[in-house]
Amino acid sequence: MRRWLARILAVATGIAIIALAVLFAWLQNS
Amino acid sequence: MWFRLIPAAMSSPPATAWIWGRAILWLGVYLALVLAPLFVLLAESAPGGGGFWYDLSLALGFAGAAMMAVQFVLTARFKRMTAPYGIDIVYYFHRYLAVVGVLIVLAHPIILVVADPVYLTYLDPTEAAWHMTAGVVSVVLLLLLVAVSLLRRRLGLHYDEWRATHAVLAILAVGLAFAHIDGVGYYVSSGWKRGLWMLIAASWIGIIVYVRLAKPLLLLRHPYRVVAVTAERGDAWTLVVEPEGHAGMRFTPGQFAWLVLRSSPFAMREHPFSISSAPRTSGGVEFTIKELGDFTSTIGTVQPGEICYLDGPYGSFGIAGSHAAELVFIAGGIGIAPMASILRFLAEQGDRRPLTLIHACGSWSRVPMRDEMTCLAERLALRVVWVVEDAPPDWRGEVGRVDQALLDRHLPSDRTAVEVLVCGPMPMIDSVEHALYRLGVPMGNSHSELFDLV
Repeated sequence: MRRWLARILAVATGIAIIALAVLFAWLQNS
Repeated sequence: MWFRLIPAAMSSPPATAWIWGRAILWLGVYLALVLAPLFVLLAESAPGGGGFWYDLSLALGFAGAAMMAVQFVLTARFKRMTAPYGIDIVYYFHRYLAVVGVLIVLAHPIILVVADPVYLTYLDPTEAAWHMTAGVVSVVLLLLLVAVSLLRRRLGLHYDEWRATHAVLAILAVGLAFAHIDGVGYYVSSGWKRGLWMLIAASWIGIIVYVRLAKPLLLLRHPYRVVAVTAERGDAWTLVVEPEGHAGMRFTPGQFAWLVLRSSPFAMREHPFSISSAPRTSGGVEFTIKELGDFTSTIGTVQPGEICYLDGPYGSFGIAGSHAAELVFIAGGIGIAPMASILRFLAEQGDRRPLTLIHACGSWSRVPMRDEMTCLAERLALRVVWVVEDAPPDWRGEVGRVDQALLDRHLPSDRTAVEVLVCGPMPMIDSVEHALYRLGVPMGNSHSELFDLV
């Protein structure tokens, strides 16, 4: 169960980073 | 290899608002560090002109590099940072995040090449500028780093060799990534943006200096002396160490420490083991270690008088802050070590709560610390249930493994008032935790800790 907590945190972090990167690229080109 | 890493196997005490608050705070700090480069890009108008995919690739490259740099912080064993989660979770976070981070880093060149194949020319070191080659080599090293870590056992790589390889590859990969960013100079060439990257790079170097130089130096100045090495059943040894000229270690029962034995603290040859003694005023500690690997098989040859070093204590497994009416301890093999620490402490405190210890081992003749548990049972309201796979002819106790039926027989009737601590091999922890949940023990009441990291 503790491994799942670490997995969820890591994946959520990755999603947050990708979302912000997409936002940056969109803002730069809008 | 769980024996080496899992004796530390433990879990966390009940979550409180304070712990949750600290956990969220440190997660916020982590995200701020990793996302800082992107916020900086967003905050100021950038050169632009490259198009959406170019900018997306760039942003992912920056974020990936920041993630890899912060990976060093996660394994620097900062006690305040790791305490709210338990250091095992932080190490696992580091491990999973490495995979996520490498995917993000890989997306950086892949998007560029797909958007415009002309970027393929950067793969040729004879044609490309040095900083582009640095970027390519950095990505290759990162892939190698993750692959070697995930496949260490299949590759037959010794733990100590892996650690040294891991450190060298990681430093080279992140160093080359910084060189690549600086060399390209896009988005970072002006003023405070360059300052931010200089700060990130300096902090990263600072962490390396702290982990590889300052901390070992600190350990070197606080040596311990081996005062006894005693044989236990089941090829296990108890190592007793006392501080040499300092106050020693203050730990809570159930914690563990990294042990440096017959080596220098600078050599990165350290191994985590659960402490099996109760806290002592002398600052000394005992470790009960099973002979199962290259390092652990030498414990029996250690002589009293030898010097060793301890980095610790770490871990959040234990009963600190627990007010449960009844406690159940479930240990597999040498997983008894942290339970011994907790039970010895409870005996010294005169604790009168009903306690149950379920200890599973291969055979009765190889049950480590069984005499000690018998003595503790007389001092505490402790019931010990030994479970053996290979039972002697006159055996009248439990046989087999710790499964749901066995737990159902021995758990107290009020499953919601009990707190359960589990320590053993990873498959055992998984199956016991599932069984406990199915038997009505609230998820928050069962604790374990992971240490089978690589």
